[in-house]
Amino acid sequence: MIDDLDPVIHVPKRLAAMAVLANAPSVSFRFLKDHLRLTESDLSKQMSTLESAGYVSAAKDGHGRGSSTTYRITKAGQHAYERHCAALRALIGGS
Amino acid sequence: MESIEVAEQLKAAERGAAAPYVDYPPTPWWYAPSVGAWVAAMIGTFTWWRENAGLFVGSLVALIAVEILFITWMRRRHGALPMPGKGTPPVEIAGVWRGYAAALPVIALLVAAAWLLGGVPAAALAGFVLVTAGLAVYERRYAVAAAKTRARLQ
Repeated sequence: MIDDLDPVIHVPKRLAAMAVLANAPSVSFRFLKDHLRLTESDLSKQMSTLESAGYVSAAKDGHGRGSSTTYRITKAGQHAYERHCAALRALIGGS
Repeated sequence: MESIEVAEQLKAAERGAAAPYVDYPPTPWWYAPSVGAWVAAMIGTFTWWRENAGLFVGSLVALIAVEILFITWMRRRHGALPMPGKGTPPVEIAGVWRGYAAALPVIALLVAAAWLLGGVPAAALAGFVLVTAGLAVYERRYAVAAAKTRARLQ
């Protein structure tokens, strides 16, 4: 049960980001920043970690000041997120 | 692991999951009548189907292009536009979506009846009125459901 907890997603900021990403086809950097109430640098760091784990993919539209970054959850990310949430629910049920 | 920490994690996940559904910019006033006009134009296009294949295809392509541009704009404006089939909407929103899905065939039947009784112009008018009014009702119900969800997850 506790082995199913994913150390990458277990960090609350990243768990909340994954929850948002699991519920929309794509999510903008601005939406995540506003919802999670993070600074740009902190959000960039958290999203880089999720990208490195293969849980999200990023796409950039445009260049310079008008550019925007959007994120999508990958299949591996979706699977990891569901598994992590199931483990959390199991822990609550068993506690 | 402390159960309170686990409960907080689950709550954070639930809030994040609900965010695309309940954190959205205000719907512009022209949204419902524009979609109503789009449906009326789509119905009107079928008039040209019988009279002019070129105009029919051209209108259809233009209307589909407008729809794609509109969805792209909506997605950028919202930042995390939820789509049916992706994710799990909060129970309050799911109820509103079920109502929306149930209303669609009813509106289609009413538009078809108008078509049979009054031809394409009557169907286009019925499409405009029913879709505009239906969307306005849907938007109000959605806003109430979103407010309830936000209150529950506070």
